[in-house]
Amino acid sequence: MMSGPKKRRWPAVVAVVLLLLALLAYGAWYKLFRQVPTVFATDEQHFKYASIGVEASEGLPYWIWMSLPRICPEMLPGPGGYASLGTAWEPGEAMPIGFPVKTVGFERVGINCATCHTASYRKRPEDLPTYVLGAPSGRFDAQRYIRFLFACAEDPRFNADNIMKQINSVTRLSWIDRTLYRYAIIPMTKRTLLKQRETYRWMDSRPNWSVGRTDMNPFKLRVLKLHDDATVGNTDIMPLWNMNARNGMLLHSDGLSKSVEEAGISAALAAGASRDSVDVPAVLRVVKWVRQTSPPRFPFPVDASLAATGGPIFKAHCADCHSFGGARTGTAIDKSEVGTDPNRTDHWPQAAADAFNDYAKDKPWDFNGFASSDGYVALPLDGVWIRAPYLHNGSVPTLADLLEPQEKRPKVFYRGYDVYDPVRGGFVSSGPEAERVGVRYDTAVRGNSNAGHNWGTALSPEEKAALVEYMKTL
Amino acid sequence: MSRESRTRTKAGVLVDAIRESPVDRQVKKYRRALLLGLLTVIVLILAVFIARFSKDRPMTFADDREHYLYGSIGSEPGGSISNAVGGVLPPYWIFVTLPEICPEKLPGGYASLGFIYENGRDLPVGISRRFRLGFDQVGLNCASCHTGTVRETAASERMVYPGMPSHQLDLQNFFRFVLDCTLDERFTPERVLAEIERAGGSTDAFERFVYRNQLVPRTRESTLMLSRRLSPLMANPRVPEWGPGRVDTFNPYKAIQFNWNLAALPPSELIGASDFPSLWWQGPREGLQRHWDGNNTSLQERNLSASLGAGVTPVTIDHPNLERVAQWIRDLPPPEYPFPVDQAKAARGAALYAAQCTECHGDGRFRQGTVEQAKASLKGTRVGTVEPIARVATDRHRLDSYTYDFAVNQYTLYPDSEYRFHNFRKTGGYSNQPLDGIWARAPYLHNGSVPTLRDLLEPPERRPRTFYRGYDVYDQRKGGFVTTVGAEKGRRFFLYDTSLPGNGNGGHLWGTQLTDEEKDALVEYMKTL
Repeated sequence: MMSGPKKRRWPAVVAVVLLLLALLAYGAWYKLFRQVPTVFATDEQHFKYASIGVEASEGLPYWIWMSLPRICPEMLPGPGGYASLGTAWEPGEAMPIGFPVKTVGFERVGINCATCHTASYRKRPEDLPTYVLGAPSGRFDAQRYIRFLFACAEDPRFNADNIMKQINSVTRLSWIDRTLYRYAIIPMTKRTLLKQRETYRWMDSRPNWSVGRTDMNPFKLRVLKLHDDATVGNTDIMPLWNMNARNGMLLHSDGLSKSVEEAGISAALAAGASRDSVDVPAVLRVVKWVRQTSPPRFPFPVDASLAATGGPIFKAHCADCHSFGGARTGTAIDKSEVGTDPNRTDHWPQAAADAFNDYAKDKPWDFNGFASSDGYVALPLDGVWIRAPYLHNGSVPTLADLLEPQEKRPKVFYRGYDVYDPVRGGFVSSGPEAERVGVRYDTAVRGNSNAGHNWGTALSPEEKAALVEYMKTL
Repeated sequence: MSRESRTRTKAGVLVDAIRESPVDRQVKKYRRALLLGLLTVIVLILAVFIARFSKDRPMTFADDREHYLYGSIGSEPGGSISNAVGGVLPPYWIFVTLPEICPEKLPGGYASLGFIYENGRDLPVGISRRFRLGFDQVGLNCASCHTGTVRETAASERMVYPGMPSHQLDLQNFFRFVLDCTLDERFTPERVLAEIERAGGSTDAFERFVYRNQLVPRTRESTLMLSRRLSPLMANPRVPEWGPGRVDTFNPYKAIQFNWNLAALPPSELIGASDFPSLWWQGPREGLQRHWDGNNTSLQERNLSASLGAGVTPVTIDHPNLERVAQWIRDLPPPEYPFPVDQAKAARGAALYAAQCTECHGDGRFRQGTVEQAKASLKGTRVGTVEPIARVATDRHRLDSYTYDFAVNQYTLYPDSEYRFHNFRKTGGYSNQPLDGIWARAPYLHNGSVPTLRDLLEPPERRPRTFYRGYDVYDQRKGGFVTTVGAEKGRRFFLYDTSLPGNGNGGHLWGTQLTDEEKDALVEYMKTL
């Protein structure tokens, strides 16, 4: 008797509960996971500001990102917020180049190719920076950036009260967003950063990357989870242009791969995208674009007749390895022959290449072309003027210095000051301003050696000057 | 509807169908009434409390001039009581009684800092009043730095000109006084409450409770934060005093908005003091490079940026009230020279002006006619463009205090809104300004290093090396304020030293090669601009 009406009520109750749960799930999905693609009309804008898939896996909630420099200012290299890390930041833009904002439930800040592949230079100290897309950043300190985030996350000041105070003083979030930030997003972000911090512990026992350099060890140790072999892989950023002309050449300073597509996708993974979050079409749009871009011309006057004398010298001493079409261009030169610091080429064993090729077997973008080499790639020198400092580890500040034997190359200099030295071919690397703005580079530190690559060092001073002048035209 | 009585025993619940007794029913009725009454009282108290603390009401003024002088742009602390944001001044009653709490720190009251009190008002020009967070609060508005006074002689009546640079206002010592006194050991809740009582304010028990536990401690807390962040500017022997009529616009902003450690900046970047500009006839200035270094062409952004300096935040700003000010100063005419002008002499000066000055500064047509006509008068000139520092050669500290790194950080202000800054630019010199009402904009050059128009026409070595600023009696012969008076009725004026960093009076050599007669004629003409 009693069970009759109850039976009839049950389905309704279940339906209501299910509906509520579904609504709740939809709400949670909408507020925490819904992805809104970042769409840009031009390839340049796409390169500078579009997501390559980092935000969903390792993106930082925008409002936390905005607050951190105001909460932990002394953990940055100096006053200036994120600008103090050497970010490229265009006039009028809400975000620096290379810091895309993508909505994954809520707005999150990631990084993309342009973070490390955008250079700046100034012709005179009083000039505003000119940004060169695709050129290696000489100023951005990627390691300092992640260390800043970790250090601030570890600090007691990183708490919901402090961060909400910052947020509430600059914007009016809805009640639901405030609640989500306070009780979910901020604590989750703190936990995630502290967890990530553990996966970067290995950095503490190695020399700093310094500005304009990275390491493939994050990939080896964080993504492939290989054992820590204590190697140092610090190396300068590569230029991203003229990739069509580089078809078939080895890429990366130590020749890890021949495929630009694979290099691009792997770089996105190294930047923090996960196997599932990496936005392959977005990366491939960048790859397609950099296949046909070309480097900017030298922005100062060139002594044409001096450069003309330098041409044949280049042909005789350099072209074999460094001209498009040169016999050895784009191949790995054994470390015993080139003689430069061996750390970088030693840090990438065959086991890493194998693990890499196995990493995405189930994905359409599966890697196949990763290899290991015992030397460094002889790179084409297009746009070499803005690729300073030189050698794979950026241990020689200018082209003129590179033509000197090791004992005459600077032992200590400053990287990260973007005023250009049009005579020596490279950035100004000494003097009070370079020291104030830049980061000290000591060639005695492990991985920083400026030895090797002795080609051209025996030329006469006149020949060297002519050769440098010629290289400015490349 | 059967009323049952239930009894719980070890055996279970016994349900007794016997109806309650009338006494039981009565007791229950009372209980329910009592509960309801209590609930109503709690709800009422809560409602009153919420109504009080969520009320946000500025004092309003029907007249636009009054609104400019006394209206609120939202620079009073706001947000919520648990998380108050913005504002640089303590609540109304604390502000009003501070000079009584620390009398020896400010013997003449706020007026002795150059604040203007008009006929018996409780607050001076430039201080707005607004009920927020449950109490009357005060804030700075545009008029505090942009309302000047002029007297013909020491015995004359003061003329008050809205929009004129507050050349008489000592803003730095005003901040110092407020910071200093709110950290003084006499600044206790008991003393504050006693002074409020003495000043004629009444407080009820609840308000006294809030003063004790919230307002006084919060004021101290905010003072500690501000003094810590600003001490590299305010208490640094290497950074010269601003003196009256000047402010360092962007360095405090670096510390307050972004929490930069100012002490880590290159010392020369910390020297940014410059004169308050005039704020009249803004309409024709849209699109010109504004601020001394010409770092922004948008009037709206300039207004929003200056408001941040006055203490608003993107959430506490009162956009409609600010817009009303913006509209008013858009058409506010520059004041006419209030003394006689020698017309014949001025006519001779006009020709000289056309040859020497018009190209960079426009001419008398700028102040005439409509906004469009004024703008048209600048056609073909370099007005509102930046003159490279090498050419103008005036003191470069102000220019260097505004950096590229700072500009990019400004682009994150007013985030996620239509107001987000995107027009600020680092420049390489100082901007050529129109000279409307230039007679009232003394002292001259961006840093106010040259006291009068006549002195500006002398080569730097013949310009005064030191002079007094802040005195408002006008020097009709030289075009500027009298610079020889060091004190008046207890107010001490500021001895400006051009040899200090940031205070250099070099550069801007145009016109210095003219003869004395020509210079006098030129000054006479400029009085008519």
